[in-house]
Parts: sequence; structure tokens; C-alpha cells
Amino acid sequence: MGLKLSRRQFFKVCATGLATSSVAALGFTPNAALAEVREFKLSGAKETRNTCPYCSVSCGVLMYSLGSNAKNAKQEIFHIEGDPDHPINRGTLCPKGAALLDFVHSSSRLRRPEYRPNGASDWQPISWEEAFERIARHMKSDRDRNFEATNEQGATVNRWLSCGMLAASASSNESGYLTHKFARSIGLLAFDNQARV
Amino acid sequence: MPDSVLAGGVPSIPEFRPTRKSVFTDRAQRLRDLADGHAMQEYLLFASALARAQAAELEVYPDTPVPDPAQLEHCQQHGLPPLSIDSAQPAGWQQGLLRLLDALNQDALPPEAVRIANELRDEDNTALERDQEHMFAGAYAEIDSGRAPFIGAALQVHWVKMALRLGERGRSAGVDFGLCPVCGSPPVVSVVRSGGAEQGLRYLVCSLCASEWHVVRVKCTSCASTKNISYLFIEGSNDAVKAECCDECKTYRKILYLDKDNHMESIADDLATLALDMLVDQKGFRRVGPNLLLSPG
Repeated sequence: MGLKLSRRQFFKVCATGLATSSVAALGFTPNAALAEVREFKLSGAKETRNTCPYCSVSCGVLMYSLGSNAKNAKQEIFHIEGDPDHPINRGTLCPKGAALLDFVHSSSRLRRPEYRPNGASDWQPISWEEAFERIARHMKSDRDRNFEATNEQGATVNRWLSCGMLAASASSNESGYLTHKFARSIGLLAFDNQARV
Repeated sequence: MPDSVLAGGVPSIPEFRPTRKSVFTDRAQRLRDLADGHAMQEYLLFASALARAQAAELEVYPDTPVPDPAQLEHCQQHGLPPLSIDSAQPAGWQQGLLRLLDALNQDALPPEAVRIANELRDEDNTALERDQEHMFAGAYAEIDSGRAPFIGAALQVHWVKMALRLGERGRSAGVDFGLCPVCGSPPVVSVVRSGGAEQGLRYLVCSLCASEWHVVRVKCTSCASTKNISYLFIEGSNDAVKAECCDECKTYRKILYLDKDNHMESIADDLATLALDMLVDQKGFRRVGPNLLLSPG
């Protein structure tokens, strides 16, 4: 054919270009279309693939949000449905998954760490820093008290049975691997992670 | 609901939707419906008349040779589209073009269109083939924008005719996801289907032979990125047509959501939403899907 041209050429349709397009070349007037465009405004939306957090089936979901990709633009999720491409659920969701939008926008949704002191009836907000400190402190004290390096027969067991850990379903293989390494290396045996699926 | 769902199985994704015999009739009807009160009314009616002429031409267009089973097998093995636009020079479409031009009602056309139609009638095959080569190479600016819709329409009839003869057998599984598995052309738009086994699935629609093939949602159909995909649409519209924009390669392709409007048709609804193109262009995204019934010039 003798033509050395890339298939990936662009098909530019722009306001100034309409005057050279087929519309004008064939004798039709593009003026009304051009006038109309000036009245229009663009809006942005996003579709995001995610994993339902409820159970270990880990159904794929598509989350629809308004607001463009621009930095600082506030994203507002307005619809969630099963991911039609997902090999596990092919677009379907159970009643709990189908109600995920209410879960996202729930007024009682936990948005920050909270703490209820012994004997108190109310929860009080604390910072992430404080929360990490307290959890680490409690874990360390409990582990120091209850860690077993050997059993009655003297065999090495290195276990910590007074503490357990539960991790989430929407984890990648990599975060599952790290979670597992963390839990086992401090001796935790009571450990479930829904990322096992 | 399919039995496999009730039995606890997961239904497989239909990967391919062959082109339909009614493609031009449906397109003509949709263009006609869209034209009513539209800012581009005259052009949509012109495109509708052209699609109607294509439908009539498809009925009388001679059977062109298609690959035999051995050749189809060869294409399957090597991931080549069986009706590739890169193969030997197609024959017969030039006569088809003449019949298309004759089928158009001259009285309904502007004088410029009549002049271009007459010019095409007198054109020799070499010049027509040059236009065809430019079109298939994606060099849209090299073709006279007045001639392009006629050339494109004639080539569509030729390829739809061949694709119809092959049906399901026309698809070669190994073709790059961004090109038609039947003819290797770039897709015009994406369509998210509604209902049945294809509920919510996205298919790319071939700009030439109208075959459709499945590609997962939320993925750039140009560079395959799944990061930073956004969807732009005209505020206040029913957002049935959006521009799927990729921040990685800065391109976009329109995506039609049939659950918002089940009557939409790839080429017709693309032509009826050029305003979206103009606005998205201003945002710095470049369009990758050609529409053979319109040249941007």
C-alpha cells in the first residue's frame, strides 16, 4: 500500500474544526450545533472497582461517584452495584452487598478512633496516634504476661494464646502476606483473615 | 435467569457479538429519531438517508469471497483478524459506492453534496483506492471531508456483508483488545449493554463492520490503563453518553449506557453527541474512535 502511517491517529472533533468537517463540506450549516455547545457544561463522574467488605466471598463491586479526577475535587459516591466483569459474582450482589451505599453513607459509621474508658457509658474520640499507642501498650503488656516460649514437655512453641486478630476481606495477596507475617511473628495463633479467599 | 445461576455456577461472559443484518436499518431509524429538533438535524437526516441506502445496498451487494476454514484456522492460531483491512485491496465496493450515490435523493441534498456525489461518480478506481487506504490508515485529514462519509459508507457495506457470511466464525480470539477481532479496524464507541447475559458488560463496536467484542469496564481502551479513568458528560443530560477519559494517555472514547436509553446505536448516537466531543476536546483529551460517516477534516 505504500503508506507508512500509524493506525493510532486521532479523530479530532472540536468547535473550530467543525467548519472543515463533513458537515460544512457537504453544505450543511454547523452554526446551530456550535451555538448550542456554548450553553453546555461538562460534569465529571468516576467508576471505581472495589471488593465488597462484608464476607469472605469477596464479590467485586463498581462504585459510581460524582466529581472529576481533579485534585481537591470532592468525590461523592451515589451508586454501588455488582461488577459485571468479576469472575466471582458477575454483577450480582447479596442483599447486604446491595445495600452497601447505605453502609458508606451511614450516619453511625465510624470515621475516627474512639475510646470508652472502663466504667464509662460514652465513647470519646481519640487521635490515631493515641489509639496506636494504647493498642500497642495493651498488646505488649498482655504478651509479656502470657507468652509461652515452651510447653509442659519443654518443646519450643513460641505462642501467645490470650490475644487474637481478625483482618479484612478486601486485601491484596501482598497485604495478606504481610498481615500473616506480622501475626505469626509475634506468636498469634488465633488469627483469621478474610483475605484467605 | 440461566440454569447455571440457579445451580450455583457463574455464567461465562459472552466475548463476541457478531454484526447484525439489520445494522443499517436500525442505524437509519435511530438517526431519524434523533434528528427531530436536534441542532444537527440536517446532517443527522443526511446520515439517516445514507444508512438507509446502505441497508438497501446490503441486500443486493454481491457475495465477496471470505476465508476458507483452513485460512480461518490460520488466523485463529496467529491472532489475526480474518477479514483484515490490511489484506489485499478489496474489490467491488467502488461499484457499491455508485449504487449508494444513485439511491440518495438528490433533491434533499445541499448543492455541495450533489457536486461531491457527481465528482465521486466520475472518479477512477485509483483515486477511490487512495481514499480507502487513507481511511484504513487512520489518516482522516488526508481525505476530502466531503467525500469521506460516502467512501466510509460503501466500505462498511462491503465489510458488513463479509462479516455476516462468517458470523461467529469471523472472530479471531488473539487480536489486540483495542482492534476489531474480525477486521482489525478501530472501534467507534463502547456500549454498556443492558439485560440478559450481557447485563452491565462493555463491548467495543467496530467502526467498519459493527462487530462487538467484550472488554472489561473502567479500563482505557486505548492504552489499557485502569488508573485515573474518569467519565465526562454534559450537565443536565440523561448521561446515557459519557466520554471515558484516560489521564495516563490523555485520550477518550465515548461510552453508551443502554440501561439509560435502550434505543441507542453506536454510530448514530455518536453523531448526535458531537457537542460532548467539542467540550472534552477543550479539556485536553484526544479522541481515538473514528466515525466513518463523518470526517473532522
